[in-house]
Parts: sequence; C-alpha cells; structure tokens
Amino acid sequence: MTAPRDLDPVIHAQARLRVMTTLNALGEENQITFPGLKDLLGMTAGNLSVHLTKLEEAGYVEIVKTHRVRTPVTYVALTRQGRRAFEDYTAAIRELLDLT
Amino acid sequence: MDRLEDDERPLSPEETLRLIEEQQARTSMRLGGDPLMIYTSWGVAWLAGFGALFVHYAYGSITQNMALAVLFPLMILAMAISSFAQRKGAAGQVRGESSVRGTMYGFAWAFGFACMGALGTRLSPLLPPDESGLLWGVMSMTIVAVLYMAGGAIWRVPMMFFLGAGVAVLNVIGAVGGPGLHALLMSVGAGGGFAVVGVVQWWRQRDRA
Repeated sequence: MTAPRDLDPVIHAQARLRVMTTLNALGEENQITFPGLKDLLGMTAGNLSVHLTKLEEAGYVEIVKTHRVRTPVTYVALTRQGRRAFEDYTAAIRELLDLT
Repeated sequence: MDRLEDDERPLSPEETLRLIEEQQARTSMRLGGDPLMIYTSWGVAWLAGFGALFVHYAYGSITQNMALAVLFPLMILAMAISSFAQRKGAAGQVRGESSVRGTMYGFAWAFGFACMGALGTRLSPLLPPDESGLLWGVMSMTIVAVLYMAGGAIWRVPMMFFLGAGVAVLNVIGAVGGPGLHALLMSVGAGGGFAVVGVVQWWRQRDRA
C-alpha cells in the first residue's frame, strides 16, 4: 500500500506520526525533555533520535539544548509549521474517511 | 534502529486515525500523573478523616479534635503526594506555558487553604462544637470541589471537572443535612468515589501502556 498523494509523507509513518501526535498534545508553547518524550512514546533513544532528525529537517520540530542547574537537558517541541502540518494531515485523514 | 523499517509502513486512513486518537489519549493520561497518587490518595484521606468525624458524631467514641487531627494531616499528605506525582510524572518533563499554569494552580490550593484556616480559626470558637466541625469540613471540601472543577476546565479533563462537581453536590447536601450526614457523605461518597476512580484509572492506564 502506498501513501495517498495528499498526505504528508514526513508524518505518514507510524513512529513519526506518534511523535507529532504526542508533541501536539502538549499544547502550544510547551516543550518536553528528550527522556520524557522517549518514555511517553516507549521508543529507544536511537530510534527517537532518527525520527526527530527527519522531523527537524522538515522544519516540524525544534530541538533546544540547554542546562537545568548544571545538567545538560534537551527539549523538543513542535514548531508553528509542524503544528500546521499536523492539523492539515489530520484534516486530510478525516476527509479521506468522510468524517468532516 | 531495529523497528525502523516496520515503522515506515504507511497506514490506512482508519489505522491512522485510530493511532492518533490512541496516542492522544495515552499522552493525556500520562500527563495527568499516576491516578493512584492523584485521586486515591485524596480518597483515602477523606475516607479515613471524615470516617473518623462520622464516628465522633454518630457514636461519640472519639473527640472532634482527634477526628480533625486525622483528617487535616491526611489531606495535607494527599496534597503533597498528588503534587509530587505531578512533578515526577510526564508533566514534570514539560516546560513552558503548561508548567506555569500548574504552578499558579498549586498556589491557588495553598491560598485557598490559608483563607480557610483564617476564617475557621476566627469563626469556630463562636459555634457549637458540632457546627464548628461542619464549618471546617464544608470549607475544606468547597476548596477541593471548586479547584477540581477549575482544574478540569484549565486542562480540559472532563472527569476532573465532574469529580469536583460531584463533591460540590455532596458538600451542599451535607451542609444542609448537618455534621453527621456531611461526614458520612464525604467519607463514603467523596472518599470512596475518589479511591475507586484512582484504581480504575490506574487499571486503564496499565492496559493502554
């Protein structure tokens, strides 16, 4: 089975769709730590890193490296473009299912 | 990298929508914290604390001060446990607008109980002992009910809102019915209800994990 033409191929893969859904569910202006996201998704760190890189290259997520006290922390969040892409994607899926 | 190939398999629209809905539900549940610590801790506090107050009103076998000495420390413990669960859970890994909201919400609890303490200390010496116990009980549960409803509205968690509304209804009935009825409703209704909801939610969360 191939992905329908209208659907964003970057999002249309189980793992990345789950990442996008989870980041979208955090709400706007919120970021989650990399380990927190890994736990929510039940993915390995390596697997999650690969998918986040693809999403970052597409401009859908931003990865912020910072320090909390003295410990380095990596935060992940959806960009505005990513949120819009996710909304377009879910709208396209619902259209395909004639739910809207 | 083990499952990357399999993960890349495109899904049908039905599978996709199901995956989105399940992942949204799982994320919301995990962000809500451990239900046993969030709900059941409060349930046990009320079950035991208001249960002790009911024993005092119905049988007189313990003093009111002894019953309140069970209720309030347990409520403070429940508040500490539930806020610890929030910080240690998935929500503790989130920074930004929602964590600011959570901090403000936490302060609302502290300020609410501070107001209750001031008013109760002022008014209870003027009341007969049983009415004084009722005043403390109704005031504390008013704060709980209102803040649970507000929390449900802030985080859009209907169950939290309805639990708060349920406590408010029982609180009104108890306030009108008198100290014994209020203690019984808060112990069995609110306490039992929260304890059961916590266990059921925990069970559902385990199934989804």
